Amino acid sequence: MKKIPVTVLTGFLGSGKTTLLNRILTENHGKRIAVIENEFGEIGIDHALVINADEEVFEMNNGCICCTVRGDLIRILGNLMKRRDKFDHILVETTGMADPGPVAQTFFVDEDLRELFVLDGIVTLVDAKHIQLHLEDSSECKEQIAFADVLILNKTDLVTEAELEALERRVSGMNSMARVLRARNADVPIPAVLDVGGFDLERAVAIKPAFLSPEYPFEWAGTFEVEEGRYELMLEDGPDPTMAFITMYLDGNELASSEGAAERALRLWSEQALALAPSSSFDIGADRPISLRLDAQDTKRFSACAPKAGRIGFYTQHLPAEFQLRLLRGLVVKTPLAEHEFAVGHSHDDQVTSVGLHLEGEIDGDRLSTWISGLLREKGTDIFRMKGILNLKGLSKRYVFQGVHMLFDGREDRPWGTSSRTNDLVFIGKNLDRAALTQGFKRCRV
Amino acid sequence: MAAAAISQDGRLGVVGTGDGTVLGLELETGRELFRSKAHAGGVLGIAISPDSAQFATCGQEPNAKIWRATGQLVCDLPGGGAAWVEHVAWAPSGGQIATAAGRKARLWNADGAPLLETEPLESTVSGLCFRSDGTALAAIGYGAVHVWPLVPGAKPRRFEWKGSLISLAWSPDAKVIACGSQDGSVHFWRLASGRDSEMSGYPFKPKALAWDSESKLLATGGDATATVWDFRGKGPEGTQPIQLKAHKSVCTRLAFSPRKIVLASGAQDGSVLLWEPRRSTRPIRYAFLEDEVAALVWHPDHCGLLGGDAHGTLRFWETG
Repeated sequence: MKKIPVTVLTGFLGSGKTTLLNRILTENHGKRIAVIENEFGEIGIDHALVINADEEVFEMNNGCICCTVRGDLIRILGNLMKRRDKFDHILVETTGMADPGPVAQTFFVDEDLRELFVLDGIVTLVDAKHIQLHLEDSSECKEQIAFADVLILNKTDLVTEAELEALERRVSGMNSMARVLRARNADVPIPAVLDVGGFDLERAVAIKPAFLSPEYPFEWAGTFEVEEGRYELMLEDGPDPTMAFITMYLDGNELASSEGAAERALRLWSEQALALAPSSSFDIGADRPISLRLDAQDTKRFSACAPKAGRIGFYTQHLPAEFQLRLLRGLVVKTPLAEHEFAVGHSHDDQVTSVGLHLEGEIDGDRLSTWISGLLREKGTDIFRMKGILNLKGLSKRYVFQGVHMLFDGREDRPWGTSSRTNDLVFIGKNLDRAALTQGFKRCRV
Repeated sequence: MAAAAISQDGRLGVVGTGDGTVLGLELETGRELFRSKAHAGGVLGIAISPDSAQFATCGQEPNAKIWRATGQLVCDLPGGGAAWVEHVAWAPSGGQIATAAGRKARLWNADGAPLLETEPLESTVSGLCFRSDGTALAAIGYGAVHVWPLVPGAKPRRFEWKGSLISLAWSPDAKVIACGSQDGSVHFWRLASGRDSEMSGYPFKPKALAWDSESKLLATGGDATATVWDFRGKGPEGTQPIQLKAHKSVCTRLAFSPRKIVLASGAQDGSVLLWEPRRSTRPIRYAFLEDEVAALVWHPDHCGLLGGDAHGTLRFWETG
């Protein structure tokens, strides 16, 4: 039997939930939709059933796993399934102050719901104008963003393009897995919210580039043409005591910002970095990141050697402008042919962030399981969601898994085919320690 | 098929469906006596009066209803603003009907006049049951069992348990209240002492509970196994339960015969089995429905068993 998809709509009061709900109900003729909401709104649509829910959240202790679930959803959805007029889709609207965690966990924990329903996605509406205020003082607001599969920045007509871009960067930093849509009056394409496949691992895998792209650990990439010979790298005082970078030869007309090049740089980035003190030298195009020690006062100089002429990509952890970084050939400052800033998760001071990890090689299943269970035991309440695609030792297919807080499920997926056998893992949560997560993940390597 | 009941005189079967229809059947012949669209949404509960003259139904709409045994509507029982009336029970002593909607339980007389409305509980009422002599009413929800006396002088009682209680069965001798909990356990309270015990380790939530007529055996279903606890002597604490294993899917309905120690169990795959748990852990008879068993009701004289499934198949098997 096909499972009935469930969409969860979250967002603060005034973010446009009711508008979106009404649009879904009026535009989806032919689909039978049941809406479970906290209070009866102004909705009276023939083919939709609107049910009042009381958001009864309770704690469940199942073995060693403790989680909160929505008791009213278990009861209501269980009863709905006894009806003859089955539904094509279920919409669950939560109050603005609700944490989406219990709703998501309900579909993991209750065996009846797990059998009959599938959580398609969590859609969070964000009032582009007023969100900044809520982000500062509300943990629920952050959680709603962190849990989302789709983030709709609504009421975009009330802010400037620059404000919108800043907001988009900020929410993407908090949740790199979500698809971000812009809307004026909740006018997004309906399939973008009703057919998300957010908890569908197949889909998480299919959209892998998006799943990864905002997750580069470098903020900037420049494309340069170099000749064989010596260069000099100069930096002034900046905000951080160290900065990592990578230099890499590019193919033909390739730009450093192109997806293929950035992916290669990302892989190199996971190698052990070489720490370099001022006045030392390094080779351009060496296969590892270099971490510059910048704690000395005044201008720091490093010498570089290009073993051959060609086009290179220069990827830096922070923006070069922050350190007035420049590459010199003799006395001439090289200008890049092209440069690109990446949206990164770790550049904001938000408590809620995404951490994306990429590893080459094979993962040991037992070590991974020990690491993840320990991590969830200690930090389960702070880790909102996670997804992973892994190359497990002894497995010919890819292993995909996902979790909500302490609950997770994983399984073998399809064969790797022609794609490269690597490991990607994304965490979204509060106070995540990127370094510790990276280290933990690396220890799982065979 | 969503709910079913058989009258005490053994003549009438009342069946409620997922589209809100209520059917009256003459059990002896299978003839349809009446059919009405009782509720806007699916039927959730049916209770027949002990004198077999009336019955009450509730469903996915704001009102419960009282009917004559011939199928005429007597009156509506308002749910007090809640979207659905989820539970209905008829007092074994005859004169009272209880309904539960939202966080409140309500009591009515047989003509539909309101008698009592409880204070709102901490959470939605998830089960309702009269004491076998009709002198008290029990309701469950998250965190507690509430017992309200219906005779003067007695005090309401409250038995706490930090968990979501989802099923309720009060023993016929009125001594023990048993509840299934969402966290995969069965919890019971001995009313005389207030002492409680927990039977944990169910792989799924125990939705089905049934007492035998002598209040000695409690059958519980949390997975494909029907687990029977024996309350004789010092049990069931510290004892091994009787494990009835034959179903291939989750056991959804359990019912003890009102006359004999025979247990009927129905499962998700439509299989229906009869057991004599004291004698053997192997089923004594079997039958099938087409889909998940949604109702199993014994004839009061043990001469037959009525079973209905989620797809709409209804069968009455002779067992006498």
